[in-house]
Amino acid sequence: MLHALWLLLAFLHGAACTKTTYLEFNVTWVNRNPDGLHERPVMGINGQWPIPALHVTKGERVVIAVSNHLGNETTSLHWHGLYMNGTSYMDGPPGIAQCEIPPGESFVYDFKIDQPGTYWFHSHTRGQYPDGLRAPLIVNDPENPSKEEVDGEIVLSFSDWYHDLMRPLLASFVSVTNPTGAEPVPKSALINDSQNVTVAIQPGKTYLIRMVNMAAFASMYVWFQGHSMRVVEVDGIYTEPTEASMLYLTAGQRYSVLITVDPSGGTNIPFVASMDEELFDDIPDDLNSNVTGWLVLDNAKELPTPSNVDTFEALDDMSLRPLDGSAALDKVDRTITLDMKMDNLGDGANYAFFNNNTYVEPTVPTLYTVMSSGQYSDNPIVYGSHTNSFVLHGNETVEIILNNNDDGKHPFHLHGHAFQVIARSEEDAGSYSEGNTLSTPAVPLKRDTVLVQPNGYAVLRFRSDNPGVWLFHCHLEWHVASGLIATFIEAPLELQKTATIPPDHYDLCARNKPPVPTLGNAAGNVDDLLDLNGEPAPPQPLPAGFTTKGIIALVISILNGLIMVGMIAWYGMLQSPATEPGAGDEDGGPEGENQPLLAGPGPGT
Amino acid sequence: MVQIFAAQVFFICLRECLETSIIVSVLLSFLAQTLTSEADKPIYRKLVRQIWLGVILGVAICVVFGAAIIGTFYHLQSDIFSQYEYIWEGVFSLIASAIITIMGAALLRISKMRDKWRVKIAAALDANSAGESSPRGLRFLGEKYAMFLLPFVTVLREGLEGVLFIIGAGLGLPATAFPLAVACGLGVGALIGYLLYRGGNAGSLQLFLVASTCFLYLIAAGLLSKSVWFFENYAWNVAIGGDAAETGAGPGSYDIRQSVWHVNCCSPQLDGGGWWGVFNSIFGWQNSATYGSVISYNLYCIGVGAAFLAMYSREKKAAKTE
Repeated sequence: MLHALWLLLAFLHGAACTKTTYLEFNVTWVNRNPDGLHERPVMGINGQWPIPALHVTKGERVVIAVSNHLGNETTSLHWHGLYMNGTSYMDGPPGIAQCEIPPGESFVYDFKIDQPGTYWFHSHTRGQYPDGLRAPLIVNDPENPSKEEVDGEIVLSFSDWYHDLMRPLLASFVSVTNPTGAEPVPKSALINDSQNVTVAIQPGKTYLIRMVNMAAFASMYVWFQGHSMRVVEVDGIYTEPTEASMLYLTAGQRYSVLITVDPSGGTNIPFVASMDEELFDDIPDDLNSNVTGWLVLDNAKELPTPSNVDTFEALDDMSLRPLDGSAALDKVDRTITLDMKMDNLGDGANYAFFNNNTYVEPTVPTLYTVMSSGQYSDNPIVYGSHTNSFVLHGNETVEIILNNNDDGKHPFHLHGHAFQVIARSEEDAGSYSEGNTLSTPAVPLKRDTVLVQPNGYAVLRFRSDNPGVWLFHCHLEWHVASGLIATFIEAPLELQKTATIPPDHYDLCARNKPPVPTLGNAAGNVDDLLDLNGEPAPPQPLPAGFTTKGIIALVISILNGLIMVGMIAWYGMLQSPATEPGAGDEDGGPEGENQPLLAGPGPGT
Repeated sequence: MVQIFAAQVFFICLRECLETSIIVSVLLSFLAQTLTSEADKPIYRKLVRQIWLGVILGVAICVVFGAAIIGTFYHLQSDIFSQYEYIWEGVFSLIASAIITIMGAALLRISKMRDKWRVKIAAALDANSAGESSPRGLRFLGEKYAMFLLPFVTVLREGLEGVLFIIGAGLGLPATAFPLAVACGLGVGALIGYLLYRGGNAGSLQLFLVASTCFLYLIAAGLLSKSVWFFENYAWNVAIGGDAAETGAGPGSYDIRQSVWHVNCCSPQLDGGGWWGVFNSIFGWQNSATYGSVISYNLYCIGVGAAFLAMYSREKKAAKTE
C-alpha cells in the first residue's frame, strides 16, 4: 500500500522534472539451459532470462519496483558502479543499506544516474546473483567523446556458469568438509548468458563494444581474433584511447572498446572469452573454459573456429589514463590498512579476514544505525566488532592499503566511489611499505573494481565526498560468503542531516521473518550504543593446542598404558622358574634366579 | 629427515630373532651338555647340523617369501591402492595388533616349554641312535629329525609372523627405513641369544622376555589405536575429497568434530616423523588424536591388563591347589 503511494509520489515528482524511467521487476524462477549441457532453474526478471540489458541515459531518474516472487529466497538489487549520490539507501546490500526483500514483498529503488558508462546490476543477497539475477546497465552519454567515430554499439556480458544452485554450493563451500576453502569450479563460460553468440556487423564501421564480467568467480581473458581494440572506458571512467589485443576482466569489471572493421569485409570475426584457470582449485578433465562468439559480416560464410592462443597477454589496466587527466590525489588525510587472509575458525570451515576479523552482518542494517545513533554515529564501535567498520570524515582524501596475504588473486570493489589505483604490486611482492612504492603515476588509473595479485598489495585513493554507507569487498561471490567485507561509514553526521530514508524501507524490515530491528547499534541495543552484547559473531577460533579435554585424554592414556605394562610384568615374573611352583625340584639344582634354563652342569662343559 | 631407521621394524625383528635365537641356543646348550663323551661326538655333530640346517632353511624361506610379499605390497600400494592407502594401513595395523596380542603371552611361557622340549630331544636322541631295524614311519622321522624340525618350524613361524607385523606396522614407511632397522633387530636378537647361550641364566632371561613383551604390547596398543585412526582419517579424506595430509598438520588436515587434541607440530606423518614417528611406532602417538584412537587405546590397555591379571590369579590359584 505504502509502496503504491510512494510510486505515485515518485511519478508526480518525476513528471515535473527529469526524465524518469519506470520499471517493474518481477523476480521469479524460470528454467533455462544456457550452455546446452544442463537445464536448471535460474532467477529471471519478468519471466525473461537472459535478463536484457537496462539502457538509460545520463541524467535520467530510474524508478524500479522489485517484487520478489521467488517463493523460497529473499532478494535485493545493487547497482554496481553507480555512486548513489545522496541515495545511499538505494544502494542495495542487505544488512548495510536496507533489509532483505522477503518472498511476496516488494521494494522500490529510486535514484538518479549522473554518470555515463558501462555498469551492471545484481542481487546483493548473500551468494545469490550467480543463480542468474544480474544484467548489464548501460548509461548512454549524448556527449560521449567517441560518438563521432561510433557507428554502432554492441553489449557483451561474460559469465561463468554453474549447474548447481548456489544455496547447496554455498553450504558445501563454507563447511568443515572444505577446510582449504576451495571454491567450486564453474562448469562453463557464457557470453550474453548463452553460447555461440553471433552479432551482425558491417564492413568499414567502427563499433563501441561494451563488456561486462558478471561472473561469480572467474576472470575472463577476452580477445577479438585478428583485431586490436581501443580501450575508451573502464568501469564508467572514460580513458585516453589505449590499444590492446587482449583484455583481462575480473568479476565485476567493465571495459568499452572501439573496434574498426576492415572496409573490405572478409571472414567473420571470432571472439573468445576464456576463464582464468589459475583461480580454480582443480581443473576437471571435461571443463571447457572457453566460450566463442562471432561478429558476423556475412551470414553465408562459415563461422571460423578461433585459432589457439599461445600465451595470455592482457592489457595491464594500470596503463590506462582517465580522459579528464585527474592528477593523483597526493595529500592523504586518512590511511586505512587492510591485511587480508584466509584461515579456519572453530567450526572447521575456511573464512576470509580483514585485519583478523571476518565480516558478520549486524543485527541492525549499518545505515539505520547511522540514522539512529545520534552523536555516537561517528564512533566506529556502534557499528559492531565484526563488521570491519571504518568511519570516514567528509571531504577527505582517503587511502586504502590492501595487503593480500593469500596466494590467490582477488578483485576488490568499492561501493559509492571510483578510486585511483596509485599502486598495484606484482605477485609475491609482500605487504606494502613506504620503501617499496612503485613510482606513483601522475594521472593514475581510476576504476571501481581492481585486481590485487597473490601475496601482493594495492594502494587506492579517493575523496570522501559522498556521505553514505559503502561496502568494500572482494567481488568473488564465494569470498563475500566467507566474510571478506569491510564497511565504510562516510560522513555519518552529515548523512543524518541529509538522508531521507523512505518509510517503506523501514516497513520492509518489519515484514522480514523474523522482523529486523531498525534502531540501535550492531547488536540492536538502543539504550547503550556502546554495548555490543549479543551482536552477531563468527565461530570461535580453533583451539590453539592442548585443551583440557586433550590433556585429560593424554594423561589417562598414559596411565592405562603403564598399568597394562605393570600387569604384563607382574605376570611375566610369575612365569619365572624361581617362582614357578614345583619347577626346580626335579633337577635338584640351584633354586631361584640362578637356575639355568636347562638341567645339567651348565653349558660348555 | 630421511628415515633410515624404523623403530617399530627394529623391535619386531628383534623380538622374532630373540625368540628364535633363544630356542636355538637352548637346543644347542642341551646337546652340548648331554652329548659329552667322545662316542657321542658324531651324533652331536649330526644333530647340531640339523639344528643349523633348520634355522638357515627357515630363514631363507622367510626372506624370500617376506621380500616377495613386502615388495608386492609396496608396488601395488603405490600404483593401484594409493587412494586406499589408509584402509590398507588400518587393516594391517589391526591384524598386526591382533597377532601380537595373541602370541605375545607365549613368549613369557618359554620357560614352561623346556619340559616339552626335553621330551622331544630325548626322543630325538633315541631315534638317531637306533639302528636300521627300528620301525619307520612319520612319527619316527619326526623324532629323528626333530633337531631340524623344531628350529625350522620355529623360524618359519616367527619369520612369517614378523613379515606380517612389518607389513602392518611399516607400510607407510619409505624403503630406506628398513635395511638398517632389520639388520639391527636381527643382529641384536642374535646377540642376546648368543649371550644367553654363553652365560645367561633363567632369571635374567626372564627379565629380558618380560621387558620385550611389555614393549610389544605397547606397540600392539599403539597399532590398534593407529588402525582406528587410519579408518577415521580415510573417512575424512573422502569427506573433503582429497588428501588431508596435503594441508600439512594445520587446520583442515583433521576433522575438528572428532578431535580430542590437535597440535600443529609433532606430526608422525610429515617429513618422516622424526622422533614423533618413533613415539608413533612405540606408543601410537598422534599429533591429532580422535575420540576413536584415544578410546581404542585405553580399551586395549584395560583389556590386556585385565587378561594378564586374570591369567595371573588363575595360575596363582592353580599353584595353591597343587
